[in-house]
Amino acid sequence: MNALRLELRVAVAVARKDALAELRGRHATVSTLFFAAIVLLLFGFALGPDAARLAAAAPGFLWLAVVFAGILAVNRLHLLETDDDAMEQLALYPVSRRAIYAGKALGGFAVMLLIGIVVLGAVGILFAVDIASAWLPLSTAVVLGALGVAAVGTFYAGLTVRLRAREVMLPLLMLPVLAPLLLGAVKATTAAIAGDPFGELGAWLQLMAAFDLVMLVAGAATYGFLLED
Amino acid sequence: MRTRILGFVALGAVVAMTVVGLFVVPADLNQGDAQRIMYPHVASAWVGYLSFGVTALAGIGWLWRRDRRFDAVALAAAEIGVMFTAFAIWGGMMWGRPIWGVFWQWEDPRLVTTALLLALYVGYLLFRRLTDDPERRATRAAIVGIVAAIDIPIVHFSVEWWRGLHQTATIGSPDRVLNPSAPMQFVATLLGTLAAFTLAWAYLMIRRYQLARAEAQREESRRVERVMSARTAEPAR
Amino acid sequence: MPQTTIYVSPRSVGAPDSRPPAVDTTDLARLFAGSPALAGVSLRIDAGRTVALLGANGAGKTTLLRILTTAIAPSYGRACVDGLDVGRDPHLVRERVAYLSHATGMYDDLTARENLAFAATMLGTPDAEQRVERALADVGLAQRSGDRVRGFSAGMRKRLALGRILLGNASLVLLDEPYATLDADGMGIVDQLLAAWHQVGVTVLVASHTTDRLEAFVDGRVILERGLIAAASGHGVVSAPPSLPADSRPALREVAQ
Repeated sequence: MNALRLELRVAVAVARKDALAELRGRHATVSTLFFAAIVLLLFGFALGPDAARLAAAAPGFLWLAVVFAGILAVNRLHLLETDDDAMEQLALYPVSRRAIYAGKALGGFAVMLLIGIVVLGAVGILFAVDIASAWLPLSTAVVLGALGVAAVGTFYAGLTVRLRAREVMLPLLMLPVLAPLLLGAVKATTAAIAGDPFGELGAWLQLMAAFDLVMLVAGAATYGFLLED
Repeated sequence: MRTRILGFVALGAVVAMTVVGLFVVPADLNQGDAQRIMYPHVASAWVGYLSFGVTALAGIGWLWRRDRRFDAVALAAAEIGVMFTAFAIWGGMMWGRPIWGVFWQWEDPRLVTTALLLALYVGYLLFRRLTDDPERRATRAAIVGIVAAIDIPIVHFSVEWWRGLHQTATIGSPDRVLNPSAPMQFVATLLGTLAAFTLAWAYLMIRRYQLARAEAQREESRRVERVMSARTAEPAR
Repeated sequence: MPQTTIYVSPRSVGAPDSRPPAVDTTDLARLFAGSPALAGVSLRIDAGRTVALLGANGAGKTTLLRILTTAIAPSYGRACVDGLDVGRDPHLVRERVAYLSHATGMYDDLTARENLAFAATMLGTPDAEQRVERALADVGLAQRSGDRVRGFSAGMRKRLALGRILLGNASLVLLDEPYATLDADGMGIVDQLLAAWHQVGVTVLVASHTTDRLEAFVDGRVILERGLIAAASGHGVVSAPPSLPADSRPALREVAQ
């Protein structure tokens, strides 16, 4: 139990450190949020102006915006480790690798959650979607989606941050893996907004939860290998 | 020598099954001759999945044992697998055109899943190229391969659910060939094609593996050579 | 100048002879992009010694240090710290080694204190708050402890990194050009640390390309040249020539696991 508590402290310390750096940093989180908003605007532009069509496509817009912004967000969280080659120092501490992963993913989750909430609100406004009545299932979907993007993104960002061509490699690797999460999230969101007429909401949320669990375990198990040099 | 025999056997099997698929087995009542491409399409897809599984397992082998031969297997499986997967998608598109009138059909779960598999493969192969040091490359590639392979069953199930909720039982269903109640000839032809393609895969794997090992060994002796000549070099005074 | 307090790990206690060699490498080689940075280094350094690692730029000093700290793996040969193989037990080695690198690994947007506090958690330092304050004072950064590292000069970052080393209880300290970028005060701090470490029995390996200042502190010297040991002398330092073609094939094939 003591070892576990130690790991938890390490994870929390890493997450706190990331949060501090982010909050004080070059206003990255705000820029990422604005990016998500711009993406939504562009969607509306490209597929509008028919309100009904936009409302029907809104769940897709929501999650695409979240995923795209997510790529930027997780990249940033690891970019911070290129300060003065901090990542190498991080790898040298005598702590368990999965604790470092957990800390990074926790930070990523917090950022993704923020992005998810903001985008949800923006979608409600821009595409005239009633989110208030389905706030509980929608929040659940946002939490699960944020967790999944953080779990996968932390892993791939850690992997690519010190490589060349990382700007394109990160989305190239991350996006196919995120496909099932994206599917589940959009389906769950659509079902939630419509009041779950076919009773499929639970199934899609379960898919998302299963994805999250699997990816968290996989990420924790393999993060150590990517810290190796 | 044995590999060469395997090669001939595989070639023979593929040719035989092609003939069977094209001329011997009767055409599907509803889909006509277009349905024939299902045999190589499904067989290639199967081999594509198998190959990715091998890539992931070889990755685990490398991480566990640090034996470079595992990495050679992983590379071979990825390259051969991407070929079969690309062919499977092409086959799926060729089938789709006469049946549905379009090249791509989102409601075909296998096509969509296979497309994602191709994306994962391509990502893996491109990622490998970013690292020069052989051992670091093997380690990084291994974890990418493993995480991608874990993703595949999830993709499969999610896409199945996706399609399941839009049940449009059309005659143009790709599953007719896989249906257990399909006529024996169809099933037999499919299994035969599957076996033939697997043999072809095995042959190509062995050859590609040998090539990878030869390259690795050449590189290795170059490295040893450099280290040795550094040791015996005259000190600069 | 404040007296430096070194917290000593139980591992550093005890007569040097009773402890395994702090550093023990056999035919250690490492290639980068096909070319050997280390070609075959066989070196043994006894526990408790302070040794200067000398050589021109590109001789392999940094590579050797980085292998010992487990940041990179050997390409060929073996390296052991305190009797532990860096390839087989990297996590155990990390508990024993502290490393001052050219890049100090500090987070620009955190303050000096926050950086050390984070390090203290990661190192498992007991009484973290006190230790952090003490370390900051010992390296002369107490006045700037609340300032963000972004504004720090290279010399100040280096001092902070030294402070981080003080938070741990390493038995082997690896310093890569500690005097570089430091002003006179900073160099004085390094001098103090070297003396203090030597006194408590911590093994120190200092890479440098100038020796003048170090002479007063070192027990032995190792000179690297193009990835090989050109000369080794002093107490507690033993080197051997690398194995050569006739007898080395088996040795080389043993890639560190």
